Amino acid sequence: MHSTLMFILIILPFLAAIVCAIVPVKQVRSAVVVATGALLAVASLLLIGKVPFETSFTSMAGLPLASLTQLADFALLGVILYFGWKHKHQGIKALAIAQLVGLFVLEAFVMDHHAANMAFFADPLSLTLVLIISIVGSVICIHAIPYMENHEHHLRLTISRQPRFFAWLVLFLGAMNALVLTNDLLTFYFFFEVTTLCSFMLIGHDGNELATKNSLHALYLNSIGGLALLLGVGFFQIMLGTLNIQEILRLSPNAAYAMLPMALVCIAAFAKSAQAPFQSWLLGAMVAPTPTSALLHSSTMVKAGVYLVLRMAPGFVGTSLSTYVALFGAFTFLATAVLAVSQSNAKRILAYSTVSNLGLIIACAGINTPAAMAAALFLIIFHAVSKALLFLCVGTIEQRIESRDIEDMQGLFVRMPVTATLAVIGVLTMILPPFGMLMGKWMAIESAAANVPVIMMLALGSAITLLYWARWAGLLMSHPLKGGVTPEVQPMLTKYPLVALCGGAVVLSLLSPWIYSALIVPMLNAANAVNPQASFAAPYLSAKGILGADSGVFPVVPLFILLIAGMYLGVRVLKNAQSAREASIYLAGAQSRTDQTPDSFVGPANQPVKVVNANYYLTRLLPEEKVTCWVNTAAVLLALLLVVGGL
Amino acid sequence: MMSILGFLLALVVGVFVAPILGGLITGVDRRITARLQSRLGPPILQPFYDVAKLLGKEKLLNNSWQAFCAYVYLVAAATSVVLFFLQSDLLLIFFVQAVGAVFLVIGAMSVPSPYSQIGAQRELIQVLTYEPLLVLVLAGIYVHTGTFKISGIYALEDPMLFKLPLLFLVLGYALTIKLRKSPFDISASAHAHQEIVRGVYTEFSGPYLAILEIAHFYEMVLILGLVSLFWSTSFVGMLVLVALTYLAEILVDNVSSRMTWRWMVSSAWAVGLTLTLINLLSLTM
Repeated sequence: MHSTLMFILIILPFLAAIVCAIVPVKQVRSAVVVATGALLAVASLLLIGKVPFETSFTSMAGLPLASLTQLADFALLGVILYFGWKHKHQGIKALAIAQLVGLFVLEAFVMDHHAANMAFFADPLSLTLVLIISIVGSVICIHAIPYMENHEHHLRLTISRQPRFFAWLVLFLGAMNALVLTNDLLTFYFFFEVTTLCSFMLIGHDGNELATKNSLHALYLNSIGGLALLLGVGFFQIMLGTLNIQEILRLSPNAAYAMLPMALVCIAAFAKSAQAPFQSWLLGAMVAPTPTSALLHSSTMVKAGVYLVLRMAPGFVGTSLSTYVALFGAFTFLATAVLAVSQSNAKRILAYSTVSNLGLIIACAGINTPAAMAAALFLIIFHAVSKALLFLCVGTIEQRIESRDIEDMQGLFVRMPVTATLAVIGVLTMILPPFGMLMGKWMAIESAAANVPVIMMLALGSAITLLYWARWAGLLMSHPLKGGVTPEVQPMLTKYPLVALCGGAVVLSLLSPWIYSALIVPMLNAANAVNPQASFAAPYLSAKGILGADSGVFPVVPLFILLIAGMYLGVRVLKNAQSAREASIYLAGAQSRTDQTPDSFVGPANQPVKVVNANYYLTRLLPEEKVTCWVNTAAVLLALLLVVGGL
Repeated sequence: MMSILGFLLALVVGVFVAPILGGLITGVDRRITARLQSRLGPPILQPFYDVAKLLGKEKLLNNSWQAFCAYVYLVAAATSVVLFFLQSDLLLIFFVQAVGAVFLVIGAMSVPSPYSQIGAQRELIQVLTYEPLLVLVLAGIYVHTGTFKISGIYALEDPMLFKLPLLFLVLGYALTIKLRKSPFDISASAHAHQEIVRGVYTEFSGPYLAILEIAHFYEMVLILGLVSLFWSTSFVGMLVLVALTYLAEILVDNVSSRMTWRWMVSSAWAVGLTLTLINLLSLTM
């Protein structure tokens, strides 16, 4: 059973990718993508009853996995080197060569007998990630089918590039599943690099100058992460004599100097999660078609980084490294929230918000108490769903209004009532109770309360986050009182993924007390089993839909009952409001009365002047380039502190 | 655990008594303010007459979301007050209260009027200013009592004020913004002839404006409730502390003129964060 599930979760996407790449028939490709998505989702759900387990295979479906991976590792670095050489990018070339040499030294001299089997380990943490990758990721891939059709129509391509696009998209899911399920750090490194390559190919998909430039930048920064990870792998092998991740977590708290490779692994994770100073690659990645962005932000790539930090967290609990990780995460949370304020480009807002939220997750991993770990896992789950929803909404909106500037989305409700409403719900699930993201933030703040620098950064960052989200949500909803709303027609594969994600964000939030008992408590117990020195006892009690502890209480279900009752009454109020008389806007008596346009005032020579409104972006106070410069300097210093402090 | 009776009592007090209390305080506030300005001032019950009159007016809207948003603001404010009387989690109460703040802004932004739009932007900046300060005050309370629950504060032997004097000042700073008092009446000034008229409230009228007024009564009770926690050990102490704090707010309101939002953010953060840092460090050292 294990081998079947592993086959579906890991190997099947690779096979589906090959089919997508070589069969040029649209219908076949769509069917393969939908079927793979469905199979992945089912397999991930079947995995729920199976954890925790540890297993290893020498071969799967006749493929000698481990030896293949070893070979593929060199091939992969070769491919990266080729791209560096082709685009004359010295940085990528140098990093690829360094990794090739490092890998060769590791394989030839350091590893005496790298066991020729592939070890898997699944605990609630990896299970959570598998569920996100397989379900949210698949929904995004399905939404991409009509999206890419439109996208290519818009670009007026004569030869479709969709085969390779969908090939990389589904392959990404397989690589991510492998990455979170493997128990061998060297195998982890291989799939870590596969995701780097996938993101490189997807970001550069459109093939224009900007796309190529940004994809190379992403490859370059992620190669730094790759090198850091490889060095970490090497040091672990030398110091602890094992690359079994569970072994490493068991041994490292008592091993001298084990914090150095831990710090290197954290740096690799920061690069992957686009934490400052690496955030520029994720911002650059916004040039890619929206499904790519949605996938990178919600269910793949950046989640690999936070997964790695959370996976390793029990191994550095109570050390100074943990303190620095918390500081680093909190700093990124605050700094990138500040950067988001000055943005009016919807995708850039979403991108900065992702980096910021991942910073919060990393801060939780650094705080490293049971409550903080629980917060981190909640944040991962709810961020994945809400962010996927928001990205797909923006993609859908962009294809209709041909702009991704939020100023152009003013009054969008009139043109796209369904998508605008879904987007607003998406925003609300990011910032307000009783939704899961806010609960995660609540847990994070409560567990950080005694840590003065961290709580100060979290408090500021949290307020700034509210500012940029509320501003956007408010813009979407303006519309005239009566009539004027045109019903929205969307293809089935566009509408249903959006509705499913929105429903998922709300329902999962409602289920959070049960998610807590079913996933998070077992995760904490698993962490405890590995490293009993750190007490990962369950921090909250879940009873009758209320999460509570001595330190605080979050009544999830009562708040939801209130929300549902409120919504029922709210909708009645909304209907009732239709009977109100329509007022024109207040213009201090200078309203234009002769004109047909109600939102104009009388200007010079009795000419109507239309009122124009725009958000405050505080661009003079917080210019992006200047702030980025400061943020990067501070982040580099913090990262150095992390490595040096680890010694 | 609280008994069913206690629960019902908190519910009734939270839902029905709180807005009456809030209205009365507003009435007293208007009287004292008038005296400070050598006027006689309206009767104490004037806020209730105002609300009653507004409720009887014709429904006039620019956009149906306004009605929805006004209503959500009211529900969120009432919920946070009920949670307060249930002695629930302070951080949670604060987040529930933020729902109201966000919907007020969304309601104001849903109308393309320059006055309400500017008011909404400024309101967001006000939220941005007081939110972190309040979170830090709550964090300080946690460090001192070991819990975010109000019940934990009532279990204290000595008033919190002695241990958290600077955080009390920070709270006052933040609450002046939340109470829309001068020099922070930046997004919704009660006085006419301002460049923003009534800011976030501009486009709300009649019964919908009444809803916002009632919601504000709830918020006042919540705010003064927070203040009272600093002298949780005796009822008289609580009353005296609340009365003195509110008098100070009125005084500040009357002796200062409205400042710009830039000044508000920089001064509140600079003063607030410094005082917080000192107080938190003195607690954790």
